[in-house]
Amino acid sequence: MRLPERQLAVLEAASATDERTVAEIAAETDLKPETVAGAAFDLADEGLVAVGSVTDETLELTDEGRTYVEAGLPETRLYRAGLDAGADAEPVSMGAVIGEAGLEGPEVDIALANFARKGLGSVDGGDLAVDPDADPDVDPEATALAALADADDEGAAFDADALEVDEAVIEQLDSRGLVAVGESVTRTVTLTDDGVDALMTGVEATETVGALTPELLASGEWRDAEFAEYNVEAEAETARGGRKHVLRRTADRVKDVLVGMGFSEMEGPHADADFWINDCLFMPQDHPARTHWDRFALDVDQMEGIPDELMARVEAAHRDGWGLDGDGYHSPWSADFAREVALRGHTTSLSMRYLSGVAGAELEPPQRYFSVEKVYRNDTLDPTHLLEFFQIEGWVMAEDLSVRDLMGTFEEFYRQFGITDIRFKPHYNPYTEPSFELFGEHPETGEEIEIGNSGVFREEVTGPLGVDCDVMAWGLALERLAMLTTGAEDIRDLHGTLADIDFLRNAEVSY
Amino acid sequence: MPVVDVDPDELRELTGHEEKADEELKADLFGLGLEFEGETDDDMYQFEFAPDRLDRLSVEGVARSLRYHYGDARGVYVPNTNDPEWTIEVDESVPDERPYVTGAVVRGLDLDEAALESLIQLQEKLHATMGRGRAKGAIGIHDLAMVKGAPLQEGAEPSVTYRGVDPDGETFVPLDSNDELTPAEVLDEHATGETYADLVEDLDRYPAIYDELGLFSFPPVINGKRTEVTTGSRELLIELTGTDQWTIDRMCTIICYALSARGATIEEVEVNYADGATHPSEYGAELVRPNLDVDEKAVSHDRIETLLGVDFEPEEVVDCFERAGLDAAYTLDEDVTYEVEIPPYRVDVLHPLDLVDDVGRAYGFDNLEPRYPDVGTVGGRHERSRLEDAVRTSLVGLGFEDLLNFHMTSGAENYDRMNVEPGTGGAAVAADEDGVFGGGDPVEITEPYSEEYTQLRTWALPSLVMLLERNTHNAYPQDVAEVGFVAERDDAEETNVAESRRVAGAVARRDASYEAAKGRLQALCDDFGADLATPRTEHPSFIEGRAATVEIDGERVGVVGELHPAVLIEHDLEVPVAAFEFDLDALQ
Repeated sequence: MRLPERQLAVLEAASATDERTVAEIAAETDLKPETVAGAAFDLADEGLVAVGSVTDETLELTDEGRTYVEAGLPETRLYRAGLDAGADAEPVSMGAVIGEAGLEGPEVDIALANFARKGLGSVDGGDLAVDPDADPDVDPEATALAALADADDEGAAFDADALEVDEAVIEQLDSRGLVAVGESVTRTVTLTDDGVDALMTGVEATETVGALTPELLASGEWRDAEFAEYNVEAEAETARGGRKHVLRRTADRVKDVLVGMGFSEMEGPHADADFWINDCLFMPQDHPARTHWDRFALDVDQMEGIPDELMARVEAAHRDGWGLDGDGYHSPWSADFAREVALRGHTTSLSMRYLSGVAGAELEPPQRYFSVEKVYRNDTLDPTHLLEFFQIEGWVMAEDLSVRDLMGTFEEFYRQFGITDIRFKPHYNPYTEPSFELFGEHPETGEEIEIGNSGVFREEVTGPLGVDCDVMAWGLALERLAMLTTGAEDIRDLHGTLADIDFLRNAEVSY
Repeated sequence: MPVVDVDPDELRELTGHEEKADEELKADLFGLGLEFEGETDDDMYQFEFAPDRLDRLSVEGVARSLRYHYGDARGVYVPNTNDPEWTIEVDESVPDERPYVTGAVVRGLDLDEAALESLIQLQEKLHATMGRGRAKGAIGIHDLAMVKGAPLQEGAEPSVTYRGVDPDGETFVPLDSNDELTPAEVLDEHATGETYADLVEDLDRYPAIYDELGLFSFPPVINGKRTEVTTGSRELLIELTGTDQWTIDRMCTIICYALSARGATIEEVEVNYADGATHPSEYGAELVRPNLDVDEKAVSHDRIETLLGVDFEPEEVVDCFERAGLDAAYTLDEDVTYEVEIPPYRVDVLHPLDLVDDVGRAYGFDNLEPRYPDVGTVGGRHERSRLEDAVRTSLVGLGFEDLLNFHMTSGAENYDRMNVEPGTGGAAVAADEDGVFGGGDPVEITEPYSEEYTQLRTWALPSLVMLLERNTHNAYPQDVAEVGFVAERDDAEETNVAESRRVAGAVARRDASYEAAKGRLQALCDDFGADLATPRTEHPSFIEGRAATVEIDGERVGVVGELHPAVLIEHDLEVPVAAFEFDLDALQ
């Protein structure tokens, strides 16, 4: 008969007459106890040994119990402090004794309850008297605790039977929460008759193999080899590959959704003329958002390549309004300011370039376009604001679009991200009318949060660009969507050179 | 966004709805677009709203909007005005930079503390919004009883004069002071003067308003103490100066509406621009103010129906207009068009579209049923975006952690800490033997707010090294990469900024070597069918003899090598780092 080495060792260590414990066999064979147990069950399956079990009650000190081993039981401390205060002669103020005994918080109640129970004295109307005849030194509870502590120092739980203590004391300690009563199961192994026969007939060990090698495969030796068993439940070191950035993944998802809804992607300059960033959007040049506090003006020369006719039409819209009954802004307007180059504060500058036709062909309706690109705003860095973030921008150009089309489009977009029950709150933007702030329910917290800004571009915007149909547009920060879908609470963990590489490694994959 | 402070009791009184509970008021105001922000120390409610309806900057305006909302008021309301007694003369000495003035007289006031506070609040909020921090328009409000407008002779018409004054040519006692100061001294010594000094300090002559007794207002900085308004004031002179007549006229209108709502009578004033003084070309040199004229715009029934996506009867549309505080008339032709009257406090109505929005709000946008537009288009990604994405996928497959770094950085990070000199080359000069990759001219932010963000990055590797610097507490290896934006100054570009995308990777680990970087670079080039060559180069960020130019399909597009120990130490790195960076377009 051939058996794996470890099974053979266990078989040889087992006895037909004695029940031997797994621990004993492990000590003898130099195998781990779990290996012995595994081998014993395998042998039992073969009928070569019998595996039995004995259940013992164990006792273990709780943290509270351990504290009292050092400091003494609260009632004992109270008794001794009472003695010191002369409470054996006549009652003294309880408060002072408690203070002397160093009892605090819940210890006070514990001390008083057990003090009375053990007949160490009495408490009456705030005064405490101690019984001079009581002897806390022979308290069986303290003795049992001390014995447990000694055993505990030597390791492991304590076999209750080995402790010569009254069952009632154990129960008392258990009810006081000073000891934890548990069970331990000891497995025993006994040779069966078949096992004895096998040993007498002779058993050989099979060879085990650690790693499967090319040589084993080539030689065919793998046929006779037994593979050493692994502990397949053991922890393995986590393998790290690269991962796409969590914000990029969110952006990919957004792009997928939009392409699926028929949108084409735009691209264009990050540094652009204020003309494209603001003037085309009918933002008056003295609008507070156009002061140097809110924009990142760049120290480069003005941009000359803006078509003159377009510039003239945009200026006319600002000065005199657009259409028969249109009014302009009563704000200064200069071509020099329009030509200044700044970092874009929104990607609507791309929409303006595309709608005007300078980004490619003149567009005929219907069209849908989007971008998920970076924008720059001078804001205070905090958990929800960065100087640079990604804006999702989208627009639909068609004849006779209505507010209902706008609502339907955005509802569909957000539904793709699990955000339903969109609310459209009428809003004001200089460049859209009507305008709506979009609110939706946070998929996790149920909180109502702002998730975008939208509207139909004003004729003062589309008219000068040469667009004579309706264009509805919306925008939101990608980071806001990412925080919703990843649960990130601090945007700075996600984005920029401040990022924590562990956060990126561990961020849950979204799809 | 503007914030208005409202006393809820006053609001109930002004709307005539004493029965409205606090929560009801808040909900009604939310419906109008005023969001409850909290309470002030003296129990005023604060509401935030979008900056279109500036007529709601005071409790009186909010109450008016609510009355329309409740249906207690309908159609256009214009307060009555009395004929002018007073004149504002405009002298030719008025500084050209602030030529315009307007005003009104208000009589029959009963100002309690709350009303006075509300008036001051409205003045300050208008300064902050339409007045652009008093630069475009500034309001002075005076106790008319303290203004002496006429010489002591029978029948003389009372007047005040807007003129220019030498900065040290006159003294007066400003508000919150007891000292006689010249206008120039006010800018130096008075707290309010210091705040608004930049609005006038460069002028040769300062704006000033005089009566018979002398200077009593120094717009846009401060009023004189003599004409200070108190709860005892029964009659007011309101004057506004600024850079645009329309703007100050409308600011004046909003104040007149607010005071009229408190039972005051508005009296017109004449504004006479003298020969030689700049006058508003669209209105002429002789004006009667306040201008409470009703504006008219036409909007077609068809436009309203298509934009809102709702079929209306004309009566319904007219009802909506009236509930919005507008009046509308129409003729039942084939194409119905509404002639809409717009009260003068509606500074936000610039186009017939704005009237459609008013109809939508009155009808209730909540009542609109969303529908998916029946418009077919074909979607797709931009080629550059697909390429970026494909490269990212390859980098991730090679074990790189994909990064997303800021595009703004500082000269110290971009150049100094990498041991690179600014202006020594860059992408465009990678082909030039002497050029240093990454050393291009910076695109700098004109007025940076922080030392950390003063320019756009000219290359991506510094960002990667900064990230490694911040992550020395985390486990190695740290292989990181980015496909990202860089920019440098280039006057040949339309925007004078050359923008490009780079592929950058860094391998930070105990055994990082040139070979580790080049091996990954080679794999990337193989993925995209590109030929890689790495002729030896020198680069100040890299160890001499361990740096090469990245040459893809014969073009010199980047750099690869082992980072110099000095650069590593500068970034507190205790492991070697091998890295590369090149133009994304090379993989096209």
